[in-house]
Amino acid sequence: MLDEGIDNYAASERFTPAEKIALRYSELMSVNPDAVDAAFLDELRKYYGHDEIVELGAFIGFNLGYHTFFGTLKFYPLFSPDGRLVSQAESKKLYGAAPISLGKAGAAE
Amino acid sequence: MTHIAPLPKEGITDPELKALIAEGEALGVPDNLFPCILARAPEQAVPLMRALIMSHGQGNVDHRLKEIIRILLARFANDKYFASLRSAKARAMGLTEQRIDDGCSFYEEDAKGFSAAEKCALRYADLMFLDANQLDKAFYDEMKKYWTEAQIMELGAFIAFHYGMQMFMRSLGAVPLG
Repeated sequence: MLDEGIDNYAASERFTPAEKIALRYSELMSVNPDAVDAAFLDELRKYYGHDEIVELGAFIGFNLGYHTFFGTLKFYPLFSPDGRLVSQAESKKLYGAAPISLGKAGAAE
Repeated sequence: MTHIAPLPKEGITDPELKALIAEGEALGVPDNLFPCILARAPEQAVPLMRALIMSHGQGNVDHRLKEIIRILLARFANDKYFASLRSAKARAMGLTEQRIDDGCSFYEEDAKGFSAAEKCALRYADLMFLDANQLDKAFYDEMKKYWTEAQIMELGAFIAFHYGMQMFMRSLGAVPLG
């Protein structure tokens, strides 16, 4: 479900309209912020209160900034998908250059 | 008018948030629009305000350089709100609008008088969201010539956090109060 939420949420039947628009908010803030306009906020308000929109927006902004920064530091998860504490060298082999979900990494083993 | 209206400042009763709002107003970054919007999600408001003020106003990197970086990022993020704010502390330390403009757009030009360390830090901020792939081992090795690892973490976290909040405020269509 994690991968579907990242790759295919818009077409997926496993996400509610509220979840889909929250995921879209996250995506647009990063790749097309001009699309986050008054009409988009009106759509968000159909599903979320102002308190929830502020919570979502700040959370997305925070993660957008920090994940970009962390990406430049080239560090990898401390634990393997099966829960072992692993070295950074081993972790790099497990998770590779591109971030993938723990579930997908586990399935690949 | 922002897409999400701020709460009235007078209606905010949390003493910690009120103190942080006063601290932000004294510094000039942020004014009370940002925390009064955040106050709609009170659990988020205090830690985010504290992080915003501390990362900017404290630490071991020159505050004037951080102020230039903050404005460079806000302009890149096309966030009119944070781009318009100015640190009173940086101004008192002698930072001018000319220096800010030079730092945002012409810092690589030797005639503008930025040190090698400042150029490297400004390049770090410039590249973070323009082309993070260029922030590779060679770039960090260059940074380490001028900055300690603690300062690099301070700069990186500052850049990440402020850009994130700028994109958030942009998404709300926030414009300066004044």
